[in-house]
Amino acid sequence: MAINVGYFVKEAVTNFHRNWVMSLGAVITIYLSLLLVGVSLAVGSIMGDIIRDFEERVSIQVFIKDGAATEDVKALQAFISGQELVKSVGYTSKEEAVEKFREQWAASPEILEQLPHNPLPASLDVELVDTRQVETVADTIKASELFLSVAERPEEPERSVSFGEGMIERLFAFTGMMRIASTVFIVLLTAVSLIFINNTIRLAIYARRKEIGIMRLVGASNWFIRTPFLLEGVLQSIIGAALAIATLTAMKFLLIPQLGDMLRFLPIAFSTAAMVQLSLIVVVAGIVIGLLGSGLALRRYLKI
Amino acid sequence: MISLQGIEKCYGADRPALADVNVEIGQGEFVFLVGHSGSGKSTFIKLLQREIYPTSGVIVVAGQNLVKLKNWKIPYLRRNIGCVFQDFKLLPNKTAYENVAFALEVIGRSKHVIRTQVPEVLRLVGLEDKLQSYPGELSGGEQQRVSIARAFVNRPPILLADEPTGNLDPATSLGIMSLFNRINKTGTTVLVATHDREMVDSMRKRVIALEGGRIIRDQSRGVYGHGD
Repeated sequence: MAINVGYFVKEAVTNFHRNWVMSLGAVITIYLSLLLVGVSLAVGSIMGDIIRDFEERVSIQVFIKDGAATEDVKALQAFISGQELVKSVGYTSKEEAVEKFREQWAASPEILEQLPHNPLPASLDVELVDTRQVETVADTIKASELFLSVAERPEEPERSVSFGEGMIERLFAFTGMMRIASTVFIVLLTAVSLIFINNTIRLAIYARRKEIGIMRLVGASNWFIRTPFLLEGVLQSIIGAALAIATLTAMKFLLIPQLGDMLRFLPIAFSTAAMVQLSLIVVVAGIVIGLLGSGLALRRYLKI
Repeated sequence: MISLQGIEKCYGADRPALADVNVEIGQGEFVFLVGHSGSGKSTFIKLLQREIYPTSGVIVVAGQNLVKLKNWKIPYLRRNIGCVFQDFKLLPNKTAYENVAFALEVIGRSKHVIRTQVPEVLRLVGLEDKLQSYPGELSGGEQQRVSIARAFVNRPPILLADEPTGNLDPATSLGIMSLFNRINKTGTTVLVATHDREMVDSMRKRVIALEGGRIIRDQSRGVYGHGD
């Protein structure tokens, strides 16, 4: 079969060359579809990282009033630790709180220098087993007697217990919408690519209908007749995929560092491993589109 | 080699293109299929190639029951049947050699086989000095010889010809017919559909005459006939 491989590749390349305008159209549509698939996946992955980061940062801070009895604080700490949904409870003293604040605002030390005394309360930092349960735990704490006895502002329990209320939900809603929009886009563009490949292969079949007739006449097997057309579709897809990967790589090296600079507070990163994974997905998706598109065209226009 | 039993073929609701056709053709026979246009000759040939399906009846070609033949096996059936047509069906952008070689290439024959068999079969049809000519540079008779070479290069046990001399002058036709005769002498079953009266009369082979889709005469060493 060694001669056949050469024959197939030669035929596919010749066809590609012969219908190059249509082929170019198919390549560009595949390229755009795959690029969009890639961008959506990359954005999804970056968003996922950001959400995870936020989720990990979600903890409950219980602010303790100055001069609260140590045993009361210890009792509250033990009570919270005893909760099923709580992973751990740490204690941050007033001094540690200032130290943390100083680290976070290292760029502008004058803020602290102007303060006459330490305004920051001590706190208990509650880490959760599942950050989605943050509200349940916060409510349990607020309802406890122990809490009221040491809280910084017992008259306003809401303000003595702090967690990122609502933020996670909003982030989830936003990324969910993004995901739906990009899925719709991808489906549409994939359909367009399939139609383009379909058309290109149909033209190729039309241009070679005489040869195909003779091949059938002398008993060429059906797969022998089909393979060059399938290869043509795959060739278009591979070129489209290569262009998409090149563009995505350029985006990774040019766009992501800039975004990271602009949005310093967000952990924007796209690792090389993720890039390799993304490229693989793009190539596989491209080949699937190519095979599917030409396969459908062959079924419709090539009666063997 | 070829057997049709109770064949009927209807294309539409009209009268059938073929009806009540029963024919046995043995190995090594030379048979003319004669009749006017529309008498069912082409339908007959297409049935044998499994281009079309009979409405009813049984067809056996080269040991294969065509009615039950799986689609993917059709190419292997066709490797046993060489075909020659009125319009030659040559590829204009390939030389005589390449046109014949193409038939072997696409059924996966090795380069070695192609290099030995193609010149041999082109010598058989008398075109050894036209190997590198394109169809456009050849006369009608020569083009038909190339197409016969292509049909025969794989040494099929059956050769079908549908109006092979329809586009050729009488002298050239004679040459083509004697070529079929030579191929027949190698043991190949030859079936020629034609309405070339002179040819049929001069060859004195078995004649099956069709009219309105029915066999009206089946005669060994026959002639075209007066009423036909």
